[in-house]
Amino acid sequence: MKSEEDLKRVINVYADMIRRICFLHLKNQYDTEDVFQNVYMKYLLCEKVFESREHEKAWFVRVAINACTDHLRYLSRRRWVPLEVINEETAVLDETGAELLEIVLALPEKYRNVIYLYYYEQYSAVEIAEILGRKENTVYSWLSRAKEMLRDRLGGDWA
Amino acid sequence: MNRIQESMKNIRASEELKRHTMEYLLREQLKRRRRMQRYALLAACFCLFLAAGGYTLYVRPVSYISIDVNPSIELGINCFGHVVTEEAYNEEGRDILRQVKLKRISYIQALERLLGDNRYLPFLKKDSKVYVTVISKNSEAIIDKIDADRNLRKYEALTYTSDMECRKEAHEHDMSFGKYRASMELTQYDETVTVEDCHGMSMREITDRIEKCKGHGERQETEEIKEKKETDETEGYQYRKHEKSPDNSRNHGSHGKHYRHGH
Repeated sequence: MKSEEDLKRVINVYADMIRRICFLHLKNQYDTEDVFQNVYMKYLLCEKVFESREHEKAWFVRVAINACTDHLRYLSRRRWVPLEVINEETAVLDETGAELLEIVLALPEKYRNVIYLYYYEQYSAVEIAEILGRKENTVYSWLSRAKEMLRDRLGGDWA
Repeated sequence: MNRIQESMKNIRASEELKRHTMEYLLREQLKRRRRMQRYALLAACFCLFLAAGGYTLYVRPVSYISIDVNPSIELGINCFGHVVTEEAYNEEGRDILRQVKLKRISYIQALERLLGDNRYLPFLKKDSKVYVTVISKNSEAIIDKIDADRNLRKYEALTYTSDMECRKEAHEHDMSFGKYRASMELTQYDETVTVEDCHGMSMREITDRIEKCKGHGERQETEEIKEKKETDETEGYQYRKHEKSPDNSRNHGSHGKHYRHGH
């Protein structure tokens, strides 16, 4: 069982990162809170001993992306979504980031993940392949296609 | 900072979200801890129940063996064939039990240890006999095992069976049920003798008198004894006659009439 101090530490260190991953996939704060708690619950029950802080961070990234995917799958089986919660997440954006992020959010899920991990978390393609459990070549081709799409919509020097 | 980082810099987990998550985790942790404690308590109760059940089963005698020469000793045997109680019914028996430990070993080992002990030897004189009386649902099996044991065969023990009623009556007279059985047998032949008179007699003396009466009684059984026998039978008592086997290798249930309750 994890100690209270340890739980506080991981919440302080990884909360913003998990929140951003949730932002890339989910549409409202209720879903975000569900997934957020779900990720930390998995950590509470996890018996794994992490070799380093980097290893721990990669674990949180993978678990958060998987939790979001599972949650979306669960939502797709649900027949209705309350109108007032749709697109609530975009409300947190300011004017400057809104245009770019709207385009990022419009990308297919797999491209969203690699763009976030590559540009925001600054992981290499090899590390992304390891985190997502994909082949390096697949990640390279996803990255290349995602960059192309963003270039098409935002112009040559968008990054 | 690249444009992606720039655009997402304001996306942060609110303090409220962190607090809710922390509260949720602590709540879940407490729930799980309580559940674990409940399981641990249940497991402990189950183990305790098993241990108590096992212990009760082990210490509860289900069969009894009375060994009478002059020392009168009763052994309680559990369902695993181990001696769990030992009781002496005269001073000689008490002396022996003070020095010879018979508990927690098989009844065969206990008999070997008792009869083979140096302190028991003086009682096994040339003309003395060892009387082994068994009360058990499996008395035949126990007697067979005693008879078959190579180390016990040399004592030429005479084996009998008895029952719990007889044991209860014996204890009321402060006697082992083996000696009580012999005393009751004697009182059937010689009405002038009471169980109390047998108290001070050795097994040898009792059996000698039985043999003597038997020899006399077989020639002419009085009408009076016949009448008493009939009366007792109608009152629910019965006489059982066990004949000695011709080769004398097995004396189980021998020595004439065995007085016991019939049910």
